[in-house]
Amino acid sequence: MNAGTILERMAASHQAQAGRFAAGAPWARRRSRALARLLERGLPGRRDENWRYLDHAAIAALSFAPAPGAHVDPARLAPLLLPLPGAMRLTLIDGEFAPGLSTSGSDGVRIDDLAVLLAGDSAPELESLREPADDVDDRFALLAEAFAPGGARIRVAAGAVPAQTLYLLHVGSAAAAGMSHARLVIEVAAGATLTLVEHFVSLGQAPALSNLAADLRLGDGATLRHVRLHAQTAPVAHLETWNAELQAGSRYEQLLLVLGGQLVRSGLRLMLAGREAEARLAGLFMVDGDCQADLYTRIEHAAPMTRVAQNYRGIAAGRGQGAFNGRIIVQPSARGADAAQSSRNLLLSPQAVINARPQLEILTDDVQCRHGATIGTLDPNQFFYLLSRGIAPDAARALLTRAFCEDILAALPVPGLRAPVEELVVGRLPDRDLIRRLA
Amino acid sequence: MSGENAVILSVRGLKVRAGPRLILDGLSLEIRAGEVHAIMGPNGSGKSTLAGVLAGRPGLEVLEGSVTYLGEDLLAMPPELRARAGVFLAFQYPVEIPGVNNVYLLKAAFNAVRRHRGEPELDAFEFLGLVRGKLRQMQMSEDLLNRGVNEGFSGGEKKRNEILQMSLLEPKLALLDETDSGLDIDALRIVAEGVNALRSPERAIVMVTHYQRLLDYVVPDQVHVLAGGRIVHSGGRELALELERRGYDWLRPGTAAA
Ligand SMILES: Nc1ncnc2c1ncn2[C@@H]1O[C@H](COP(=O)(O)OP(=O)(O)OP(=O)(O)O)[C@@H](O)[C@H]1O
Ligand SMILES: [Mg+2]
Repeated sequence: MNAGTILERMAASHQAQAGRFAAGAPWARRRSRALARLLERGLPGRRDENWRYLDHAAIAALSFAPAPGAHVDPARLAPLLLPLPGAMRLTLIDGEFAPGLSTSGSDGVRIDDLAVLLAGDSAPELESLREPADDVDDRFALLAEAFAPGGARIRVAAGAVPAQTLYLLHVGSAAAAGMSHARLVIEVAAGATLTLVEHFVSLGQAPALSNLAADLRLGDGATLRHVRLHAQTAPVAHLETWNAELQAGSRYEQLLLVLGGQLVRSGLRLMLAGREAEARLAGLFMVDGDCQADLYTRIEHAAPMTRVAQNYRGIAAGRGQGAFNGRIIVQPSARGADAAQSSRNLLLSPQAVINARPQLEILTDDVQCRHGATIGTLDPNQFFYLLSRGIAPDAARALLTRAFCEDILAALPVPGLRAPVEELVVGRLPDRDLIRRLA
Repeated sequence: MSGENAVILSVRGLKVRAGPRLILDGLSLEIRAGEVHAIMGPNGSGKSTLAGVLAGRPGLEVLEGSVTYLGEDLLAMPPELRARAGVFLAFQYPVEIPGVNNVYLLKAAFNAVRRHRGEPELDAFEFLGLVRGKLRQMQMSEDLLNRGVNEGFSGGEKKRNEILQMSLLEPKLALLDETDSGLDIDALRIVAEGVNALRSPERAIVMVTHYQRLLDYVVPDQVHVLAGGRIVHSGGRELALELERRGYDWLRPGTAAA
């Protein structure tokens, strides 16, 4: 099965239900233009350099019927929610804005349903929805441009510092096999600060496909603290394409935790567009069984004194497959840039696979750059040290594996999340029962 | 004091290979309850290999010989059981384990040993009280408890942490691999006090050292010289002083002893 046929199958099944997605004329035009571009160019495949680690066959095997767009009983969601009391809420169900499960913004935060916002005949708001580029790394965003019925836009007004966290919940109904697409636009205006916790959950057990295209814009001096937690319990495939642009003096902190789903592909293209813009990105993926996590980042320093620090950990057990592919480009204009990238990976079984691929492209001399990637097993000296203190081998393994994640979890910016995230991390470890007993 | 006391450790004709090299070549050694033995010897002579093989370090292949600990075949026991049965190795190079809390390890080790002995475990509160007392003895700062195991500890702090663990676990056979190296004068005295406090008629202590100075504080019953993979010479406390004066050359196999 090649990418062309996948796409044709997607387009056909989508077209069959096109009536579901009423929208204004300008947006509809963009959709059909996107579909035409897609059909011409196809989906990424193994030959595309930033897609070589993804299990394309697993995606091809999925059903491309649109997800049923289920109405979800809030009572079923309650036990899945993170303890974020008082948080502003935004919920997308199978990619569609759920008004009943979303609060209106406050303290300078505005939250809009894209399907409503862009429904009009002439929609100037449409301009805040980026039109995906032609290159292959933006192709799933193009897919979302063609198929997504809506999604959400979050705007934080200039200078606003809302007291509350915004809790963005992505619910996959996973009631039946099928695909869903969503768009997300996040704009934090000059001098504003937002803490955003994004949480992916699933309700059913069907092998659904979800696709998210998200745009992030930070104005001058804006700050966004962003926790992204993938905790889908269904065997879902999730693809996401993030495009972020950081203006002068802005600061973006991201903590990406891939602790769920059958297959997660997370792509981030981040442009440090303004002087002294800074991004601190941390991540952890844990894959076991035959799950897959594929993280791709492309960070471009395009202004002087821009800084990026990336710190990623990966753990693969069973026949799990993981990849971290991180490209950093320092443009000649980015004098005094500082880039640090670290990817450390742990293999817990002989069948597990992790690929780590740092790529640095430095086009100026005036730059500080550090990077390192390791893939290994548990440290035998640490292991023996624990045994020599009377610790049982399985407990020693559990302790060391847990320890491997420690500095990523320590970076969680929202205190209340520590316990539930810890529980998710432990739940993905081979010695989970033992670790729970030891705690 | 040797003679009628029970044999704690008996090593006979031990040959051990590490990688391609034969490191221990027919080593024999017997230690009785209540005794303190010092092992000295040139760099690379196999002192840490001996300590490692006794503690169960992986990667060391026993080709020949036997090790009996309290009447049992020590080499047949996995490392964690040796530890629970009272063998303690203070590492020459204590390992840093970021992400594993130091006090957590102390408590887990302590309770593993207690369970093995059929003694009740201590709860978190009782344990903390105990550990604080030991910290004061070792003149260690309390914030070392909540750091990762040995993480960022200075050389001397790591060595003190080893002795702290030892004094908590109260081993029957303590193997101290160069615990005195890298200690300042005060720390040497504190560590020596820790070792002396453990000294008792039921226990045995083996100290690997390069300097006779430690032996001023912890006076050994016997001093052995390990060279060429075996014990080539044994004597009393005064042997250490003689080694300090004369070095090891006169003891190397093939050299006539003076
Ligand atoms: N895995 C291995 N492969 C090859 N050689 C090894 C291995 N392990 C140890 N050796 C060698 O065995 C010898 C003995 O090492 P050991 O650490 O026991 O010496 P030591 O007497 O403790 O020395 P020091 O006084 O310097 O601590 C050394 O030459 C060392 O390089
Ligand atoms: Mg040594």
